[in-house]
Amino acid sequence: MRRRGRAEPGGARSEPQASEGDRLPEAEHSTTARLPVTMIWSYVREMDNWAPFLRGYQSHEKQSDTDSIWVLKGDVGMMTRTVKFHVHIDEWAEPSRVRFTLKGLNEPMQGGGEFRLEPYEDAGAAPAPAQPGWFARVVRWLYRLFAGKTERAAGAGAGPGAGMSRLSFRLRVTPGGPMGPMVDALMKPLMLPVAEELADRIMADLEKRHAQQT
Amino acid sequence: MAGAPARWDVEADVVSIGSGLGGFSAAIVAHDLGAACVVLEKAGKLGGLSGFGGGEVFVPANKPMLALGLEDTKEAGRQYYEFIGAGFQRQPHQDKLLATMHEAVEYYATRAGVRWKACQGLPDYYYPRAPGSKPSGRYMSVELFDAKTLGEWQHKTWLTPIMPPGALHEEMYAWGGLAKVTTWDYELLGKRIAEDLRSFGPGMMGYFVKAAVIDRRIPAYVETPVRELLSDASGRVIGVRAERAGKDFFVRARKGVILAVGGYDHNKAMARMFEQMPDWNGVFPAYLDGDHMVMGPELGAAIASVPPTNLALFYGYQIPGEEVEGRPFWRSSWEGGVPHAIWVNKQGERFCDESFYKEYQPQIRHWDGKKQEMPNTDIHLIFDGNYRERYPLGSFMPGQELPEGMVVVANTPRELAQRLEIDADRFERTLARFNANAEKGEDPDFERGSWPWAIRLVGDMDYKNPLLGPLDKPPYHAVRLRPVSVGINSHGLEWNLDAQVMHVRGRPIEGFYAVGNSAALLDIGGGYQSGTSNSRAITWGYVAGRHAAARKS
Repeated sequence: MRRRGRAEPGGARSEPQASEGDRLPEAEHSTTARLPVTMIWSYVREMDNWAPFLRGYQSHEKQSDTDSIWVLKGDVGMMTRTVKFHVHIDEWAEPSRVRFTLKGLNEPMQGGGEFRLEPYEDAGAAPAPAQPGWFARVVRWLYRLFAGKTERAAGAGAGPGAGMSRLSFRLRVTPGGPMGPMVDALMKPLMLPVAEELADRIMADLEKRHAQQT
Repeated sequence: MAGAPARWDVEADVVSIGSGLGGFSAAIVAHDLGAACVVLEKAGKLGGLSGFGGGEVFVPANKPMLALGLEDTKEAGRQYYEFIGAGFQRQPHQDKLLATMHEAVEYYATRAGVRWKACQGLPDYYYPRAPGSKPSGRYMSVELFDAKTLGEWQHKTWLTPIMPPGALHEEMYAWGGLAKVTTWDYELLGKRIAEDLRSFGPGMMGYFVKAAVIDRRIPAYVETPVRELLSDASGRVIGVRAERAGKDFFVRARKGVILAVGGYDHNKAMARMFEQMPDWNGVFPAYLDGDHMVMGPELGAAIASVPPTNLALFYGYQIPGEEVEGRPFWRSSWEGGVPHAIWVNKQGERFCDESFYKEYQPQIRHWDGKKQEMPNTDIHLIFDGNYRERYPLGSFMPGQELPEGMVVVANTPRELAQRLEIDADRFERTLARFNANAEKGEDPDFERGSWPWAIRLVGDMDYKNPLLGPLDKPPYHAVRLRPVSVGINSHGLEWNLDAQVMHVRGRPIEGFYAVGNSAALLDIGGGYQSGTSNSRAITWGYVAGRHAAARKS
């Protein structure tokens, strides 16, 4: 079952895609910027650029163009655990999509996800993010304040228009083993913030670089 | 000694310092008697040690157990408490504890909505050997608590990594206990987690937090450590200087201050001085750092103690990469008590019944006078391939890869001993003797398997002796263990039968109360039984709150 995506301030759109009771913690977040798709692609293509923006990032090691080992610290309920993942790129579809699968090396977990990139220029093709209410704006501000998230540059995340692009990040992690259902329930609330943070931080960094260049 | 500030930031009648069971019990009853109450908490969450723990409240002849038809009497309970005290309790304190605890737990059931239940099937530690001991029902726990009713506090209350979230005692036992975690109903636990239905300490404290801050609207301030108690010229405590957002925050207490901040596990200097151990590690978060032992003596409070020998010290280990509140997490280890596992000390020898901590705890402190050393403070958990196929290690399931740097693995006992730098000959002899007896389901050296409490928690009922199985299948594993404390300390503030803190001159300090683990274990004495920490917190919180509320401003 797929929930409706909820509009986020700053032109972002988040879509938690697992209903309660589903076994697959999955989240998707989209955000927009006045940047060319090719620039975003070049940036995303090089994981060193954005790896530290992943929540709990400790290290990563590229083994080849398609394989890498990641070490992350992740919250499981009250506790933080260090998890090592093998990530395999299933598809480099320049300049619009990167699909990957992941497998836990020290924990029984697997999953995958994708980055999607697309021009965001035609209002008829893609709905503009809804304007959030005052309460959502306050909550968002508090979240950023306490989570230390990077505020996007003014004017970022605007609706569709000339030169606009949209970046979507989707992540799915499925805990395995006998404890899987319990770990799944503990992880589920964290998936959306992870997707939001990564996509937003990537765009914020790109905007910063773009501003420095121009 | 500081007096009144130029201006109070908040004025109240009764101020609880600490948001565990003692602090909230006092605030709730004082509020009900008409006092304006405030709770100040150093951590960013409410619930204190009580919210991080197992949430058992040990009350003999409690109402829920009697309702289930479980046999008990208050006299039997008195005999058992007397046995626990071993002559080190102060009898008037223990007598009043026993005379008041039923009234206290009933008060919070009827007035605060706490839904107590009896833990069926969990024996007293010393059952059946101790006088007055019982096989079931004396530990009270709570029905599942719906944390969504906490509103804004839902995510600012403690959860715990030391108990399975959402499980109930009787379910754990029905599913096979701690050793048989592969057969637990994790689908059910997952649903409860998703619905935020809490059990154990988080569940118990959920009821108390709701009763206080939601239902009674008692103000609670988190991230507000109290730095100093304030008193007037007569020595009477009149308020506190706390710190909030980096600034002084003065809170007036017209009738009393209840100090309920737990123990001093994370104050290394205090732990070393009071517990007389070379190494001291705390399972609970770092907020237990001995504030009471500074703020009390500053006002002339006396310190009192009970023997540290047999309170609540365990062995534990850390899993690399595992943290709670940004610090490496010490897990209390029960793994040595299940089949196919033992502990050995530096000499490569067993030294205790690994399944029963009331027996092994004094051995931790054993001092070899000839060698001038404590051989049992740095030991190893040893287990074999049979264990790895059947039982978990921490949260690592049978067969799951164990973290690098945590476990030493070898194909033979001798090789393992050599890697651990322990006496290989003795270790082989230890293993041979243990294995020969384990095959028969016997442990003539330490009688492992003779305590129903241990069998209930970690026994594997597929075995002749549920706690014994030989270590005879490679590979052999070792995990280094160190002493770990769960906040039940031997020293605390001296107090009287109204829970008032006593001055070194032998008089109560007006307006100053200590409850929970901040108050010396005078009512318990020379031993410990799980759940007594909570039963004394709730009882003396109740006493202190009533007494303070009745005082003149």
